[in-house]
Amino acid sequence: MKRALLAALLSASLVPLPAADRHTPRDFQARRGLVVAAHPLAAEAGRDMLKAGGNAVDAAVAAAFALNVVEPFASGLGGGGFMVVYLAAQKKTTVISFREKAPAAATPSMFAERGEAAEEWKSERGTAVAVPGMLAGWDLALRTYGTRSLAQTAARAIELAEKGFPVSPTFSAINKDEYEKLLKNAGEESVYLNQGLPYEPGDVFRNPDLARTLRTIAEKGAREFYRGELADRIAAAVRAHDGLMTVDDLAAYQAREVEPLRGGYRGLEIATVPPPAAGGLHVLQLLRIMEAWPVRKWGPGSVASLHHLSEAMRFIFAGHGRTMGDPEAVSIPMDELLSADYAAGIAARIRPDRTAGAYPVTASDPAKDRRENTTHLAVVDKDGNIVALTQSINDFFGSGIVPEGTGFLLNDHMRDFDTDPASPNAPGPGRRPVSSMAPLIVFRDGRPWLALGSPGGLRIFPTLVQIISNIVDHGMGLDEAIEAPRFFSSSGEGKAKPLAIESRFPEAVRKGLEALGHKLDVKEAYDKYFGGAQGLMLPARGKRLWGGADSRRDGSGAGY
Amino acid sequence: MKKILLSGAALSLLLAAAAMPSAAQTALFEQPALITSAGQSADVQIASVQARKAGLRSVLIKAAGPKDLASAKTLVLVLGASLKGLGAAGLDTPKEKERVASLLAEAKAKGIPILVLHLGGEARRGDLTDEMAAAYLPAARMAIVIKSGNKDGLFTRICQAKGVPLKEIEKTLDLVEPLKQAFK
Repeated sequence: MKRALLAALLSASLVPLPAADRHTPRDFQARRGLVVAAHPLAAEAGRDMLKAGGNAVDAAVAAAFALNVVEPFASGLGGGGFMVVYLAAQKKTTVISFREKAPAAATPSMFAERGEAAEEWKSERGTAVAVPGMLAGWDLALRTYGTRSLAQTAARAIELAEKGFPVSPTFSAINKDEYEKLLKNAGEESVYLNQGLPYEPGDVFRNPDLARTLRTIAEKGAREFYRGELADRIAAAVRAHDGLMTVDDLAAYQAREVEPLRGGYRGLEIATVPPPAAGGLHVLQLLRIMEAWPVRKWGPGSVASLHHLSEAMRFIFAGHGRTMGDPEAVSIPMDELLSADYAAGIAARIRPDRTAGAYPVTASDPAKDRRENTTHLAVVDKDGNIVALTQSINDFFGSGIVPEGTGFLLNDHMRDFDTDPASPNAPGPGRRPVSSMAPLIVFRDGRPWLALGSPGGLRIFPTLVQIISNIVDHGMGLDEAIEAPRFFSSSGEGKAKPLAIESRFPEAVRKGLEALGHKLDVKEAYDKYFGGAQGLMLPARGKRLWGGADSRRDGSGAGY
Repeated sequence: MKKILLSGAALSLLLAAAAMPSAAQTALFEQPALITSAGQSADVQIASVQARKAGLRSVLIKAAGPKDLASAKTLVLVLGASLKGLGAAGLDTPKEKERVASLLAEAKAKGIPILVLHLGGEARRGDLTDEMAAAYLPAARMAIVIKSGNKDGLFTRICQAKGVPLKEIEKTLDLVEPLKQAFK
């Protein structure tokens, strides 16, 4: 009887308690393996791969394939990303980098010469599309560290694409947001519109073209995408929209394995992704600056905390535009940017009683970036292997261009290049644009303790730092830390941009910030502007795994 | 004429209180219509496409100003705040509110009736959209909203308080028929 009761309790513990509303913090729990992703069906696809004996890499790719179907507006075959992998047996952490590349015909002035139309050419024309790296990255990860084939990991996604699934309010809202672009580039008959209109919540979304594409990839491998008929269709679609990509660009694409970027915070070690991702670097920079401050004493959501962190963000952004680029094309002073002196130099310029007012001048203006795109998932398997994977097609629904008959969207990651030809992040042949992505794994006493990541464009690194601080400094649980109110600030052209805050910050905090000189930009209570983080925690004691998934989108977890 | 319209509005109001209102039995609006946004969400594009399908003569100007009402006989105001849309239009919240206020003032001065639409459903509710609903709905002659966006009864409460006929539809696909009925 006792055993039955215990079994019932253990079984029940795998399912989170019902939440008061979708935003009430709730941690997903599991004992052997756990997946968190931006859609429950993707988390389940990963969980089922784990249960079938796949490892964390297999499950991550299965969930990633599924996301292409159920969250097609945020990532998919037409995009790219970064994956941090921890291999428990070897105690090794590595990074698979599959960031997109500019076509060979790209030039530094290709957007500047478009004048006021530059943004359109960077986001909604064929010139917006960079050579996709997604499938090459998944394939490299599987071949190097997985135990399953592309075909096995794509199986659930194919099933979902064929059978369909009910559209969520999040999907519907984003579909409506991007309606104009989809009408223009995908057309009224596109699978991404329902009788020429955006999908409503509850409508069933099916994507038979994507199912067919995935079957082709399952049969013929990634080579079909880069050198086969799919490559022909991709290049044709890009060029039909005034783009530059050729089949040779696709044939030349290669994902790569690189060393992680490492740093720390209050005795913890952090492994994240190196440039061309700037997000990882900025996470480490901001945390290093914060180490000098009594953040715990200030308290979560306090005026002092928001003031100091937002000022630090402004100084970091001031350096961003001047130093970041593709490390194969420009020299990035990484040692200097990660040094104690650099952090101390910024901390010394932050006054406790008012905003600095002036910041080093940079040409870019991060405040203009309102993109909420991208997606993040994390997996831990029964052996303790971990994957933190952030991937994207850039803007929601990418460029809106769908290669004929394929059912997947092409990215607009050329938009991540600077328009200014003199920028270290100017486009050029084969260059990889700077990314804000920052999947990461945090280690405590040499053991993996937290895997984390988020979408959200330039808000990614501030969001991740706030979550880490909420856990480390303020003792919050994982999902509590994820759901806590967020803020974001930046500088551009030497001036402070408004401090964006979720409306849940109390009036007293807002007034306190205004008294220090901050101009506020109050967002919604739970605003996906600030990202949609997913994370896993592996406490040192006890065997339970914890997962947190962001309610700002459709985050969910599935374990066993 | 005014009395007839008021009677129609009162009747519609009673129906709005019931589960399925049928507000637009009598045409309340004339063509051509100026379709514009309050909040710059892409929902305004949906309104324009459905107006075309309903056979209405209309012009879509997402960030219309008072001068754009010159040849319009109806103002269709599509509620829905979008950060992305505001950014793309080069507007911020205060500027958008100012623009819509000036447009409504011009419509009132010219006696142009206003049809308010909320097509984003539950996901297009939020602080700014709700604020705009409270500010602009009272000026409407009629409102059509997606049912899921009115789960908490916000639109019903405002419309009942101000005597504005309210029509709920399930989906944006269902917008064509009420538009046909509402326009002469």
